[in-house]
Amino acid sequence: MVERGGRGALAGRALLYLLLTAVAIVMIAPFVWMLVTSLTPASELYRYPPSLPDSLAPENYTEVFGRFPFGRFTVNSLTIAVLATVGTLASASLAAYAFARMEFRGRRALYWIVLATMMVPFQVTMVPIFFVIKSLGWIDSHAALIVPSYFGFGMGAFGVFLLRQFFATVPKEIEEAAVLDGASRFRIYWQILLPLATPALATLAVLTFMANWNDLLGPVLYLSSREKMTLTVGIAALQGGELAARIDLIMAGAVVSIVPILILYVIAQRYFIQGIGAGGVKG
Amino acid sequence: MNEGSSDIDETGAAGTSGRGPDSRAASRREASRRDRFRRVEPYLFVLPVTIGVVIVTGGAIAASFILGFTKWDLVTAPEWIGIANYREAFASDLFRQVLGNTFLYVLLSAPVSVACSLALALMVNRRIRGITAFRTLYFFPVVTSMVAVAVVWSWLYNPEFGLLNYLLRELGGIEGPRWLLSTDWAMPAIALMSIWKGIGYNMLIFLAGLQAIPETLYEAATIDGAGPVRRFTSVTLPMLSPTTFFVFVITLIGSFQIFEQTYTMTQGGPASSTLTLSYFIFQNAFQYFRMGYATAMAYILFAITLVVTIAQFRLQKRWVFYG
Repeated sequence: MVERGGRGALAGRALLYLLLTAVAIVMIAPFVWMLVTSLTPASELYRYPPSLPDSLAPENYTEVFGRFPFGRFTVNSLTIAVLATVGTLASASLAAYAFARMEFRGRRALYWIVLATMMVPFQVTMVPIFFVIKSLGWIDSHAALIVPSYFGFGMGAFGVFLLRQFFATVPKEIEEAAVLDGASRFRIYWQILLPLATPALATLAVLTFMANWNDLLGPVLYLSSREKMTLTVGIAALQGGELAARIDLIMAGAVVSIVPILILYVIAQRYFIQGIGAGGVKG
Repeated sequence: MNEGSSDIDETGAAGTSGRGPDSRAASRREASRRDRFRRVEPYLFVLPVTIGVVIVTGGAIAASFILGFTKWDLVTAPEWIGIANYREAFASDLFRQVLGNTFLYVLLSAPVSVACSLALALMVNRRIRGITAFRTLYFFPVVTSMVAVAVVWSWLYNPEFGLLNYLLRELGGIEGPRWLLSTDWAMPAIALMSIWKGIGYNMLIFLAGLQAIPETLYEAATIDGAGPVRRFTSVTLPMLSPTTFFVFVITLIGSFQIFEQTYTMTQGGPASSTLTLSYFIFQNAFQYFRMGYATAMAYILFAITLVVTIAQFRLQKRWVFYG
């Protein structure tokens, strides 16, 4: 795939950059417009032709935080995403270690059942699981969105798959010395395998954090009071509420919700890419 | 878990350092206890996931199937009504429209998405300056929430003040449609946005697939006199076909479940033109409290997903190459 010299190759490369740039503009323009609109004074929102605002209105941000508990929403989103990520990492890595390294009856069957649940559309289990959460008294509580991940809900099955793949690549010799020393399986898992698996864990962590941070259906189903809401439902509520015409405020809310995840993505890009590549190549 | 493991540490220490007959018998007892623990230990590791994924999710899958034959409002006891929910669904014009909308969305979005992301992957699969920056940018929509993306696209799609119709008018001389306000254009608009949002994800999967193709195959093809087109059709496409297959399977499964776009942008409107199966299930369950009807339709969605996936697995023998 590496191209060699020549004038044709040079023209080809110029064309390639042109194409790459055109696509980049298409991919980024909506975000730029989101930012621009979020800084547009309300009086200049609805005018034709659409144009850059005459003056910037950063007060849109203070207004959206003032009229809506966006600070609270941010804290809620962060709490849920962090605690759910910890739960997914814990439950998935424990199971993945057993599936990769231990002999037990029903291992293969159990592993395939776990993977098969990824195939089942969420809508199928939505009603009974809602009933379980309701029976537990977790409606309008963040527990509904956090505790299930400690039992492999959400990204758990994918995590088991991803981490099992990784554990399987670790040479058995590394653990054998520890086994001879009489170390327990849990100790081997905790002190040897987990540190080795840091890249795989980081991959699962960023993908799980992203899934929870961006989740809409879960918070829509389980959270009802405004103080409990996350950023995603907050924005959806803004869009459907009495302030629907204040696009500037909606866009300010949207910017607030995407900045943390974009920062995380830029910092931990490698892990996002590894996670998706791992899922893709192995099928 | 912690208590169990520290227990084993002690027995391990006793087993290796024991002296004399008494301690040998004791260490044998310890050893058998340790064996017994070894046998149950794996189950402790898989217990949390087993509870959540196998027991609760598995139970929910079964419960949902049964609930599909009942009338249930979540408060009073479910009432058995046989196949009435399924009969109602297939007799209902609205449900048929919902199915049609869902298939329309899948057909509009999935093939284009797969084709475009393959094209993008081929474009970025080069070692040239700045290429990683492009890859990073293309992935931005993937990491942002559908809600954030949907609100800005709703604004772009605004027929009077939106950027899109302005650009169409200025650059193309085209009078743009009313997008989300039009029964004909709302679904294509949602599909277009969804393609834009998901393209980077599939691009990365394709890219991983492309990079797994051994360079030697291209070299051998070149030696055999194959040009770039021939190298693409005879090396890239067949070697990439397992990846393409995977991308198709996950894209189709995902598309059939489209929910967030309609929830945020149209709530199924205008005139039910974007009412998709997932959103209709959600409405029936949590707005009309028709749990039985909702679960029956969820099973219809499940069945569609299964049939489409099985069909793809059947068809893969004809075009997927496992070298």
